[in-house]
Amino acid sequence: MSKDTNQKKKKPSLLKRLFGGKSDMSIYEEELVQSPFRTIISNFKDNKVAMTGLIGFSIILLIVLIGPFIFPITTSFSEVSQINVAPGLDMMDVPEELQGNIKQISIGPTFSVGISNNGDVYIWGKTKISSALDVANIPEDMGKIVQVSAGFDHIIFLNEDGKLFFSGNNRQRQSTPTYEVENLTNIKQIEAGYQSSVVVTEDGYVYYFGNSMNNDYNEKNPYQGQIDKVATTSDGVIGLTKSGEVVYLGNQQNAYTRFPENMGKIVDIGTTASTVAAVNENGKVFVWGNISTNGEGNPPELDEKIISIQGGRYHYTALTESGRIVSWGANNYKQTEVPPELKDAKVVSYFTDSYQNYAIDENNNLHTWGLKGYLLGTDELGRDIFSRLINGGRMSVFIGAVAVVISTIIGIVVGSVSGFVGGKVDMVLQRISEMVSSLPFLPFAMILSSLIGNKIPPNQRVFLIMVILGLLSWPGLQRLVRAQILSIREQEYVTAAKSVGIKQVSIIFKHILPNVVSVIIVSATLDFATSMLTEATLSYLGFGVQAPQPTWGNMLYGANNSIVIQNYWWRWVFASIILGVCVICINLIGDGLRDAIDPKSQER
Amino acid sequence: MIKYVGKRIMYMILVFFIMSIALFFLYNLIPGDPARAELEPLRNKLTAEEYQYRYQLARERLGLDDPMPIRYAKWMSGVLQGDFGMSSIYKAPVREVIVSPMKITVFINIFSIIITLAITIPLGIFTAVKKNSIFDKSVQVLTIVGYSIPVFIIALLFIYLFAVRLGWFPVSGLNTPNFSGTAWEEFKDTMYHLALPLGVLTVGSLGGLTRYVRAAMIDALSMDYIRTARAKGLKERVVIFSHAWRNALLPVITLIISWLMSVFAGSLVIERMFNLKGMGDFYISALTNQDYNVAMAIQLFYIILALLGNLLSDLSYGVVDPRVRVNK
Repeated sequence: MSKDTNQKKKKPSLLKRLFGGKSDMSIYEEELVQSPFRTIISNFKDNKVAMTGLIGFSIILLIVLIGPFIFPITTSFSEVSQINVAPGLDMMDVPEELQGNIKQISIGPTFSVGISNNGDVYIWGKTKISSALDVANIPEDMGKIVQVSAGFDHIIFLNEDGKLFFSGNNRQRQSTPTYEVENLTNIKQIEAGYQSSVVVTEDGYVYYFGNSMNNDYNEKNPYQGQIDKVATTSDGVIGLTKSGEVVYLGNQQNAYTRFPENMGKIVDIGTTASTVAAVNENGKVFVWGNISTNGEGNPPELDEKIISIQGGRYHYTALTESGRIVSWGANNYKQTEVPPELKDAKVVSYFTDSYQNYAIDENNNLHTWGLKGYLLGTDELGRDIFSRLINGGRMSVFIGAVAVVISTIIGIVVGSVSGFVGGKVDMVLQRISEMVSSLPFLPFAMILSSLIGNKIPPNQRVFLIMVILGLLSWPGLQRLVRAQILSIREQEYVTAAKSVGIKQVSIIFKHILPNVVSVIIVSATLDFATSMLTEATLSYLGFGVQAPQPTWGNMLYGANNSIVIQNYWWRWVFASIILGVCVICINLIGDGLRDAIDPKSQER
Repeated sequence: MIKYVGKRIMYMILVFFIMSIALFFLYNLIPGDPARAELEPLRNKLTAEEYQYRYQLARERLGLDDPMPIRYAKWMSGVLQGDFGMSSIYKAPVREVIVSPMKITVFINIFSIIITLAITIPLGIFTAVKKNSIFDKSVQVLTIVGYSIPVFIIALLFIYLFAVRLGWFPVSGLNTPNFSGTAWEEFKDTMYHLALPLGVLTVGSLGGLTRYVRAAMIDALSMDYIRTARAKGLKERVVIFSHAWRNALLPVITLIISWLMSVFAGSLVIERMFNLKGMGDFYISALTNQDYNVAMAIQLFYIILALLGNLLSDLSYGVVDPRVRVNK
């Protein structure tokens, strides 16, 4: 019976072939002579644990190979406002009770606060600022709130009686109003900025409290009594006077004071973290300040007038006369991708800050776009852990694979030469191998990495680590190959090959090696797992691949203190899990292969 | 046998010298001038001529102008007399600096080795005897997980569970600061502080070792002489412990000895994580602070340990199993 008819006869489903037991076979099929290789495959397929490992590893491999193209990372990325954000995609989940009844929404870096028309306060998103502070812990009995403003790590509330309330951080006294502010009764606008709070009164006076080192503000500025509206960047306060002029309320001469000329009468201002935008009465937008390459300085050309503008952290969103919304600037969290259904809708109000946008159309429907949150949280530099895991995975797997290829090649060559040639060559090679294997692995790899690593640029360190791992881990395989070859060398077919006059080299590599391939594969698989573990350990200790290039090991580098372990669990849990699962899968495959190749070991 | 042992020891010494040469040259590849580093704090206090004079003196004293082989010979003769040079960080002879970390490391490792062996050997034998039982299968799965997870992840988990969540054990240090008490109280205090690191070290090595003991034991149990022993009507206990275990011992001993080395290297991570001032922690800070005399001394310690391990495992073959021809 040929193989073909055998396969045509029974065609079990893929699932059954992977997980199902052996189907009953007739005595002829049982007695069918199979090549050893086919036996190995069928043995392996029958091993459910190993198959699970294979499937698991294939999935992980697919994710880390394809994932980086879908979720690319910029290694130099860092974002102060997004550090140590807990996992979850709820940053724009407006509470249901608030929907359709929104009076105002104010947006902080990771949280948003909204007030309803009845004056109730709702806070959503990642409200925990530190282990002890939570902006959602709002004061009781605030009464009917009419205005809110979310800053970097605090929120200001204004109730209908003109009284101020605060929640969140107060380290820079940004939540402690001065005596005169507390007695104000005619507050018109509140604005919470980066560690600072600004209050504007009906009669045009500005009051500022909070961090005065980082933020440039001059209390005795010449515009007191004329201010209509203020906006804050991450380090300055910009004002709009009642006569329609943009003014800078600080002491310094800086990028914010380089006002564009001929702006005309300004009707609205908005700010990002480091730029200022103004809209004049003709609907034209001017942007100045420390403009980045993200494009916030290039407002789109429109055929209608813009009537108001608001700024996020690195983007602007503006409303036109006809109720259309336009967004421009940085788009790294899709914060400028206005949803298509808003194209035709007429927007009546919108709220933009940080990386989020909320817009309400004339039918009172809420539309949101921008940063929803982070699936697996962010790390100490505000980098998304999910995309770093995927990109780091590729690096980890790649390093492990190359290291194994190097060590396998050395192991095969040394082992087969040593085993086949014997004599003095064998003696010398074995002594060298013993020396390498008696090198304590981790300390020696650390030495090499720190001695050589200092001289080469960081991106070449990756290759250094691969080579170090490869050069230090071949002796095990070498011994295995040598032992196999010693036993095969004496078999008849080798003698036959010799007697025909075939060259030694081709006897080794063409006649003998194919017979030890299975052993090599098993050993390489298990070595692969070990290499990945070693790389992770080295990187974890800071001697392997170094940040910003992520690997699963060095993502855990900063996790070694109880504050991180306790409060920022997502920074170590996910990397640990994926590394563990990946290595377990590889080990399962290796074990399964070994069992499949050596039927005797199946009894174990 | 004696001839064999002699040969092995000679060979070991040869390898030691080759490795020390490699190490010495490796370290001397590093750019840097120890003489200048030594005088750096005095730089502003001395006049230029005096500085130059002292600098030349220091260079001469440290032998920096000698050719490499002579420097190696000087260093090696020092090492053989127990003089490893000066630590540039601690401003003291390496030999003195290194004593207390070595004590800590040896203590931790020996302790964890004893605990690990006390758990793995009975567990391995038991799972081998009750092969394919549910207990065996679950242990099998656990051991795969155990040896697939790097020790620092186990440590993170332990810290999270036992120190952060439950608050049972301290996370770092060897003793309570300013501890005073009797020797026994001090020992108890030390053990309390070492509970987590020891636990992590033990758990980290359980997986691989248990699997190995089990495999060796199953091999031994499948031999014909076991059937004979059972047929003779011997008690199962005798069969397992006298007949099977004796024969399983050979591969296990080899493994244990090579494992000893890796434990010492593995405790490097643990010492770093739990802030224990052991050899590993010392080694890492020596490497990062470029205190290369200390790093070299520790590296030599690791190499000697490894060579001794190799020797012991070769010899143990001969001792445990007379069939093994060591005189090949």
